[in-house]
Amino acid sequence: MKTNTAGSKGLSVILMAAGAIMTIAALALDFMGNKASFRGPLLVIGVLAFVLGVYLFPTLKHHRKIVYVIFLFPLLFAFVVTVIIPLVLGIFYSMTDWTGIQFTKFVGLANYAAMFKDPAFIWSVLMTFVFVVINMVLVNLVAFLLALLCTSGLKGDGFFRAAYFLPNLIGGIVLGYIWQFVFNNVLINITKISWLVQTKTAMLAIVIVYVWQYAGYIMLIYITGLTQVPKDVLEAASIDGADAKQTLFQIKIPMIASTITICTFLTLTSAFKQFDVNLALTGGTGSVPNFMGAYLTNGTQMLALNIYNTAVSKNNYSLGQAKAVLFFIILACVSLVQVRISNSKEVEL
Amino acid sequence: MKKKLLALALVAAMAMGLVACGGGSASGSSDAAADDAAKTEEAAAPAASGEGDIRLVNGKIEVDAALKAAAEAYKAETGVTVAIESMGGGVNIQDTLKGYFQADNMPDIFVCGSDADFGNWTGKLADLSNEPWAADTDAGYKDADGKIIGFPYTTEAIGLAYNADILEKAGIDPASITGPESMKAAFETLDAKKDELGLTAVIGWCCEAKDLYWSTGSHSFANYLDAGLARDDTTYSDLLAEGKIDEARFQKYAEMIALFNQYSDPALLTSGTYDQQILGFASGKYAFVTQGSWIGATMTSDDAEQYAAAGNFKVGMIPYAFDEGIDTILTNSPSWWAVFENDNTQKAKDFLTWLAGDAGQKFLVEDAGFISPFKSCKYVANDPFAQTITDFTAAGKTSSWHWLKNKASLDQNVLGQLYLDYALGNIPDAATFTQVVSQQIAAYYAQ
Repeated sequence: MKTNTAGSKGLSVILMAAGAIMTIAALALDFMGNKASFRGPLLVIGVLAFVLGVYLFPTLKHHRKIVYVIFLFPLLFAFVVTVIIPLVLGIFYSMTDWTGIQFTKFVGLANYAAMFKDPAFIWSVLMTFVFVVINMVLVNLVAFLLALLCTSGLKGDGFFRAAYFLPNLIGGIVLGYIWQFVFNNVLINITKISWLVQTKTAMLAIVIVYVWQYAGYIMLIYITGLTQVPKDVLEAASIDGADAKQTLFQIKIPMIASTITICTFLTLTSAFKQFDVNLALTGGTGSVPNFMGAYLTNGTQMLALNIYNTAVSKNNYSLGQAKAVLFFIILACVSLVQVRISNSKEVEL
Repeated sequence: MKKKLLALALVAAMAMGLVACGGGSASGSSDAAADDAAKTEEAAAPAASGEGDIRLVNGKIEVDAALKAAAEAYKAETGVTVAIESMGGGVNIQDTLKGYFQADNMPDIFVCGSDADFGNWTGKLADLSNEPWAADTDAGYKDADGKIIGFPYTTEAIGLAYNADILEKAGIDPASITGPESMKAAFETLDAKKDELGLTAVIGWCCEAKDLYWSTGSHSFANYLDAGLARDDTTYSDLLAEGKIDEARFQKYAEMIALFNQYSDPALLTSGTYDQQILGFASGKYAFVTQGSWIGATMTSDDAEQYAAAGNFKVGMIPYAFDEGIDTILTNSPSWWAVFENDNTQKAKDFLTWLAGDAGQKFLVEDAGFISPFKSCKYVANDPFAQTITDFTAAGKTSSWHWLKNKASLDQNVLGQLYLDYALGNIPDAATFTQVVSQQIAAYYAQ
């Protein structure tokens, strides 16, 4: 870094300025609907020139920081384009009467007010919370038992692990249709009437399919946790005369507490985002005769499906967008709590 | 120094990455088009070749091959390539189109099925009023100002389809079913002779709410809106637009639905699929089937084997006579092709004109099995229901499809589930059904 001269400073500034001008010109051309084919190269060369100018800027003090930023740039750029901009646009659209094609006016918070007045939406939110709680318990319980089974020295446990994990590899939509067939054409011989047509049994059906799909995945994480319990601790326990039950509750479960936290939050967030099985299995059908004074026709429709349905089927994109913002807030809260708890656990360990 | 070289090399590598990305964006649109159009292999090529070609999004996947054949012939004649992109089987076409619009990848011609669909594109569609074919048909889609903005390509009919052979064996003249009493009598006669006639049930009628909501909530409900009315009579659809139903008329209709619920196949009533329903009718297991004329295509293709085994019986349609004096079936163009206003508009219009002409109609009618909405068309579709539609049309006994004006997804979000509840017994009787439907429609239209 001995070339700290006026010459290189000048070069740097010129590069930055030229780069900025080219970038802006390319973007301006695009916004004005110009179809000139040099737009793309102009933009890329402009950005590169700007970055090079910044890199060559003669400063000892900030050189390292500049390099860091340049290296981070591709990631930041991708993150902004695919996450930040859509998020901001989404919040913006939620305050308009956007149809998915165009919007004519701003409506302020009217969409938010409308969604809390809609019994069908409140039902969806409640159903989602109930579903999340039931699933968090059931998935973890089933997965933990399966993990115990697969680590108990059973013959051919590799096969069982693979078999329990397999449903997770099938997409939710496919699973939904397979189980729809099972409920409507096979189990109907026992149940007389398909489980999918009445709200209560249909919810039960979704829970069954979801547990069936997800337990294998969580099981794998529990297996990892259980196999990491140190052998010497287990050996010491057995020498001290602990039976299987005591070993499980006094040794194994406390030793895998962090795994349990991870699994709990994994099931929590994924159950919140439940969409594909819901869509393919019941499509949100089911009736509720009297909820907040209304006759509901979306008995098994959970939050994510409700959002999709509002936007796509009811053709109300802005209201759907408002619901999606709420959905984002709920999930963000869950994630923040998760990060906090995980961090504090790590300190303890 | 080595470190600096390494860092520079990495920067260069990153820059290469950026250039590659930038280079990619130029051809990005056609790549996206190729991905989206992956369902139809041909569509990818024209999207890449760009100018001079037009693209049509078709909503009837079953006629994909016939349309492609027509596009080939058109290319041979005029040199203009028409890419056919077919969607169906649960794809929400309007939503896909919105995606195309956002991606600046709009097709030049696309399918629109209802007022809500056309409403999405207000101000973006070409006026087709002065096209040569416009005078040749009454079925073009007209917007609020009376401009034709939709090209009609087929005619479909909603009526109570029957198996003529079975009715003949049971000694029932379909023409004698003119009202609720005679319909009930016919159903009872058939039910009593079920074993003798080899029937599983009198009528194939399914109320499943997830996949068949459109059959109950739109097509069956359409009879409440239009059956027995003149083609331009909008009494009940106007009422519906205000969120109301005529309860006296609806209750009569609801009583007919109760009859269907009672005499349908209990195995399929609440959880059957379209395929099972049509297969049952094609195999001669039901004397009647709800649905409409489009099942003819299913019977002669997917279910051809069973249909042949059942003797390729003659079929016909009777009106859904839930009230004495209802004597019409509902015929309409089920959806239209709209032309997107862009640089290719004239080429798109030329293609539609060709389709409406003799050469195009031959493909649409003979290959695709469409029942032509054009007066000058001289081809006859090879469809089991073509004859009955022609007869009703000739006698002037047809009503329109005003259900197309229903609020978006009324069937999926409200009515489908209510029909299911009625079939399940969650809603006990016709009077309660009328009440619930009335309240729910009012609530849905108020949203």
